Amino acid sequence: MNQSNAKKKKFIVLIILLFILTIITFVLSLNLGVVRIAPIDVFKTLLGKGTARDQLVLVDFRLPRMILALLIGAGLAVSGAILQGVTKNELADPGILGINSGAGFMVILFIYFFQGSMNSINTLVIFLMPLFALAGAVLAAFLIYVLAWKKGIDPVRLILVGIGVNSGFGAAIIIFQLKMNPQDFMQAAVWLSGDIWGTNWKFVAILAPLILLLLPFALYKAHILNIMNLGDQVATGLGIQVEKERRLLLLAAVALAGFSVAAGGGIAFLGLVAPHIAKRLIGPKHQLFLPITAVLGAFVLLLADTIGKNLLTPTQIPVGIVVAIFSAPYFIFLLMKAK
Amino acid sequence: MNGIGNAKQQEGDSSALHKKRVRASIKGTFVLIIGMILILISMGLSIAYGAADIKMATVWEAVSHFNPEITSHQIIQEIRMPRAIGAVLVGAFLAVSGAVMQGLTRNPLASPSIMGVTDGAAFALVITLAFFPAATMLGLTISSFAGAGLGVILVFTIGAFSKGGLTPVKLALAGVAVGSMLSAFSSAIALHTQVAKDMSFWYAGGLTTVSWGSIKILLITGGLGLVLALYISRSITILSLGEEVSKGLGQNTLLVKSLGVIVVLVLTGAAVSVAGAIGFIGLVIPHITRFMIGSDYRWIIPISAVLGGLLLVLADIAARMVNAPFETPVGAITAIIGVPFFLYLARGERRGL
Amino acid sequence: MVSLSTENLQIGYGDKTIVENLNLHINKGEITTIIGANGCGKSTILKTLARVHAATSGIVYLDGKMIHKVPTKEIARKMAVLPQSPEAPNGLTVYELISFGRSPHQSGFGRLTDKDRQVIEWALEVTGLSLFADHPVDALSGGQRQRAWIAMAIAQETDLLLLDEPTTYLDMAHQLEILQLLEKLNKEQNRTIVMVIHDLNHASRFSHQMVALCKGNIVKEGSAEEVMTPDVLKTVFQIDAEIVKDPRTKKPVCLCYDLIQKEPELEHRKVMNF
Repeated sequence: MNQSNAKKKKFIVLIILLFILTIITFVLSLNLGVVRIAPIDVFKTLLGKGTARDQLVLVDFRLPRMILALLIGAGLAVSGAILQGVTKNELADPGILGINSGAGFMVILFIYFFQGSMNSINTLVIFLMPLFALAGAVLAAFLIYVLAWKKGIDPVRLILVGIGVNSGFGAAIIIFQLKMNPQDFMQAAVWLSGDIWGTNWKFVAILAPLILLLLPFALYKAHILNIMNLGDQVATGLGIQVEKERRLLLLAAVALAGFSVAAGGGIAFLGLVAPHIAKRLIGPKHQLFLPITAVLGAFVLLLADTIGKNLLTPTQIPVGIVVAIFSAPYFIFLLMKAK
Repeated sequence: MNGIGNAKQQEGDSSALHKKRVRASIKGTFVLIIGMILILISMGLSIAYGAADIKMATVWEAVSHFNPEITSHQIIQEIRMPRAIGAVLVGAFLAVSGAVMQGLTRNPLASPSIMGVTDGAAFALVITLAFFPAATMLGLTISSFAGAGLGVILVFTIGAFSKGGLTPVKLALAGVAVGSMLSAFSSAIALHTQVAKDMSFWYAGGLTTVSWGSIKILLITGGLGLVLALYISRSITILSLGEEVSKGLGQNTLLVKSLGVIVVLVLTGAAVSVAGAIGFIGLVIPHITRFMIGSDYRWIIPISAVLGGLLLVLADIAARMVNAPFETPVGAITAIIGVPFFLYLARGERRGL
Repeated sequence: MVSLSTENLQIGYGDKTIVENLNLHINKGEITTIIGANGCGKSTILKTLARVHAATSGIVYLDGKMIHKVPTKEIARKMAVLPQSPEAPNGLTVYELISFGRSPHQSGFGRLTDKDRQVIEWALEVTGLSLFADHPVDALSGGQRQRAWIAMAIAQETDLLLLDEPTTYLDMAHQLEILQLLEKLNKEQNRTIVMVIHDLNHASRFSHQMVALCKGNIVKEGSAEEVMTPDVLKTVFQIDAEIVKDPRTKKPVCLCYDLIQKEPELEHRKVMNF
């Protein structure tokens, strides 16, 4: 079919374009910062021929952080895409549904009980905190699912319950935050605003495989997501086990969001906006728009992180805030145009 | 034959209707009176209870024969009375605000706290605290007022220009969007200028800083708001029948909606500027009121005011009791009641308005 | 031969029971329409037959087997369902929509085989949409869109096709278009068709069997001549109607005159109980 060939060509062009943009941002990000390293030196260092200082800054600090940014961006974007498909609501996103605040709540608890430990990124913190965050994400998702379930899941009810759960965890977070000492409080505040704090290769080593496994899984389910988009009745008529698939996909989305939040804090709107832009560019077929969403998410987050780090030096603007500031207006625009 | 029979029947019907209306009025008045009595009692309790225990008798004495020499009288007059009165007023304003919003948007989930009001006020506050650190209480109050207004206007504008109008989901999402955006800006500025911790107290909501000055502000602005709300109450009832129906009945829907938005702005702005972000009263109370008294906004507005005031005074007492002698933010108490209620509503099939 | 049947079916929503003790039989190779007043349960029954809605008790048999024991994908190879007002996502083309009809025959990724493509082409042809294959579904007219959805159902290659109010929002010409297409599918390909329809005269003209429902119970089951009688219409719709014979099709046509009045006393009582 002419159409599908044209689409495939467009797809390839877009992917290449996004890759190039990402690489440029990557190099820029390596270059900029409190310590400015010229691109030539960047390459030298990557090849192992740079100065010890450059080596430290680049390889030990910046590189892992940027790789995490890419992973988290992709993870959140795809999580949002899946949620939008499962809830049949273009305005769903793990942040809005309270999954982020569930994770945030557990992280706040963690900080509260292990006071003062955020300063050192020791093994305990690296292993436990993401686990807490994931547990929080799953808890939130579980609550939402159970509360929204009334002989099946109605997508509208799911969103409303999500907003409710979000408020609940939000209130709980504030209560605990107020009980913290000022240092922990600041740490918590920054984390909640979305901050890629785990600049450590060990962290990357743990999270990368998890996220990298889930992304292809989402692609594997692309066909099913396409069909579920036609509505529960049509999907059942076509022989899909709707409730089972929905549960499975929700789990995948929550896991992706959970891992991303564990590494990057409460970054909202990325999971909302990236799938939308991708859909506008390439259409609603998941086989095409999921990969674009992933790469777009990765690019946007890397860009946001770079801006956040370098715009108002020496203050680092948490990446979540940068994303929110740019995406919220777009979200509002979408809201006005959606039916 | 049939004509006469029908006429007789109609008479019977209209007298049955009339009886029903009278019953409703009696019920309404009853609730109002009981409510106000309960408020007075709770206020008394609130004033009596606290870090320094004071007997009820002393409270009465302080009110009637005030003696500036006695410390307990001082405490009562300067701290506790304004606090109790403030609780009643703020609770009333938030409840009425929520009732008006739910009527205007025909949406049982509307409430001031999901409307971007609090985040708007926070935004304005952050800017004031960060860039005008010498601002007075009055200045802070005014700026949070303005910010609240900004938030409300943004959310309603989104609704007004939105395809398909303001459905429950859209309203909630618009509130989230505006709220998150303003909140992100606030966080950015707060972190950059080190005012974050001050802000978080405000976010949780508290009546600790209520002074006689604040009461004056509340009475003036809120009083205006309440009067306006009562004035448009009948129109809101008609509006809740639906856009087309109310236009067909000759209503100037645009005017009613504009006045309604002003009411919400004034009432919520006043409440939030004095007491910070106290959520869920505007959501929960109108539902309870409707449950008791039906859908006539001429009753819903005054009764919501009374019940809202009552709820907040009691919540404030609870907030002080829970972790004595430390203050728990009263917003936490209202959230504990409000979130389950919201979830119950979200699950419901009923469309009761 | 019986294609679909039910045994003592009870269906409800929440606490409310809508249908009780339903024993229905759909004959193979025929067009059966279900008619009834709003709220009498016709859509609910159709959904339960299609296993889209779960029955409270009782059994649905598909080709003699208990439907809840058959894997859903297998059912999808035997029965296609078209719900009321289906919605296609923005930007989906007609070809892509129809290709989803092949999924009961596919595994995993949804790759289209040559056979799949053949079937899709054929479905396009049968529904007259070959020229529109690359058009987005939401850019089509009402009648064309409905045809696209029917094409998807046809691409499932099932013997049985269930449609819930397929003509309700269409104008006269488009209604006729759809009904004639369904007639063609039945005559030329021997498909069994079950549909819920509001227009009685269409139902009369195009079906072999009609099932008239009132409050979840079958009032009359049979040919158009048997079901379209003044008595049945009085019971089911509370209307006073005359039945005449259509000059061209020779099928019964109903002309509606009046609502049948209930006693005024009862009417008033009903209104007073707010």
